[in-house]
Amino acid sequence: MSETLAAARAEFTKMRAVRATSVALLLFAAVSVFIAALGGWSAKGAIESDNPGLRSDFTPEQAGLDGILYGQLALIVFGVLMMSGEYTSGMMRVSLLAVPRRGRLYLAKTAVTAVAALAVALPVTVVSYLVTQLALGPHGSTFDADGVPRALAGAVVYLTLMSLLAVGVAAAARSAVLPLAVLLPLVLVGSQILSVIGATKEVARWFPDRAGAQMLTVDSGDALTGLLVLLAWTAAALTAGWLRHRSWDG
Amino acid sequence: MLAERLTKRYGPATVVDDLSFTVRPGVVTGFLGPNGAGKSTSMRMLLGLTRPDSGTATIGGRAYRDLTYPLRHVGALLETSAPHRGMTAVGHLSWLARSNRIPRRRVDEVLDAVGLTGAARKRVGTFSLGMGQRLGLAAALLGDPPVLVLDEPVNGLDAEGIRWLRELLRAKAAEGRTVLVSSHLMAEMAQVADELIVISRGRLLAETSVSEFIGRHGRTFVRVRTPEPLRAAQELQAKGATSVRRAADGGLEVDGLPAGEVNRIAAAAGVPVEELSTHTGSLEETFLKLVDDGGDPTHV
Repeated sequence: MSETLAAARAEFTKMRAVRATSVALLLFAAVSVFIAALGGWSAKGAIESDNPGLRSDFTPEQAGLDGILYGQLALIVFGVLMMSGEYTSGMMRVSLLAVPRRGRLYLAKTAVTAVAALAVALPVTVVSYLVTQLALGPHGSTFDADGVPRALAGAVVYLTLMSLLAVGVAAAARSAVLPLAVLLPLVLVGSQILSVIGATKEVARWFPDRAGAQMLTVDSGDALTGLLVLLAWTAAALTAGWLRHRSWDG
Repeated sequence: MLAERLTKRYGPATVVDDLSFTVRPGVVTGFLGPNGAGKSTSMRMLLGLTRPDSGTATIGGRAYRDLTYPLRHVGALLETSAPHRGMTAVGHLSWLARSNRIPRRRVDEVLDAVGLTGAARKRVGTFSLGMGQRLGLAAALLGDPPVLVLDEPVNGLDAEGIRWLRELLRAKAAEGRTVLVSSHLMAEMAQVADELIVISRGRLLAETSVSEFIGRHGRTFVRVRTPEPLRAAQELQAKGATSVRRAADGGLEVDGLPAGEVNRIAAAAGVPVEELSTHTGSLEETFLKLVDDGGDPTHV
């Protein structure tokens, strides 16, 4: 157990020592808060000028969760980089010399990714929400409005699971390029488009990000289903990653 | 350190073929073989990175992956292991130290030992080949391990670095540690190794001391300079020389006769001798000859 703990502490040190992973985490915070402020500010303008461009289903509460939906891209990049950094250089050999048990290294890496994502997602989610409300001014809602605490908690869990999904996919692909090429477009536009087209709408509902988004939808009746679906995706990705990591030979 | 009947195949190619050897403490053991002989693969199997198809590799009786905090037992440098380019030297050594609960002060100590203190906070991606190699050595020394496994450690080091490394390896062996160091440069091995493990095409050719290796496989010949090389060659061959060759500078290289005998034969035949000396083949020649013999262990 203490060896696993040492491995996890080492992964934490490694994460901070690699510039790219730290930058990704900072970017997640910056993008989330910036979009949250921008969204609130432009919504305020739209409300006050009676602009018809404002979405019909607009609520100040839900708008407070828009920032992290963009910020999550950086968090996915973070998850991918946590794993792929081992493959892009000869790092995996060094890591396995230090921690030769494959399972211990994989566990340490996923655990550190989860803890780091959780630790950053929690304040960023809360701050983003508050920043949006602040920007909305008189039209803003409160922190304890109906369904908001649950949606915020759901958002934090969602973000953490998405970063773990990224770790699993990167481990399975043993690179950064393929996971990023699949995950980023999927989250950014893919499932959005697919969920609008009638034929693919039913399928897109079961995509990890679409399903997971129910968790951060205020007053969603499908939050639990969304959690279970995203959990299944994450577990599948981490299992695939583990099988590939275990069979690493070199 | 023990390799027992290690075999590794990649597709149809057998890279390491039924290889067994022992590496003892207190001496520097050279792991010798031409490029592609299977040295690196063997070392990776010793270190638990590559799974052998059959056979076992143990260090102090245990497989590498069963060692508790392995960096404290074995320090390894592999050609193909490189830290993440975005890390600093200190950052890299720090996480390594943490992973094996090695005191933080060791990071500064090993950086100092390899002469990288000045570059401690530089990104590894900006390092030269030599600096990267020094950082790899620092990582190997980090846990003050009783066993060192170094794959081609002189690569990229300058003359001063090579001398420093040689002294380091000898000092570690003198302290009773186990040192296995691979190279495809035989001349380098001759200067640092006490014992030799020679492989070619994945198979063991010799496991012996350096001096015995040269004595057994080395070619000893007598160099003769004379104004009458043709007559001298005929006389010497008639009197028992196994081979007489003309060297590039016009001198003769005589096999199979001691220097004194060569001198007597020349004097008796009235051939003037301007120079006479005995030569022992270098490790380089010895090795190349052995590998040229087909890498067939029956020649050993």
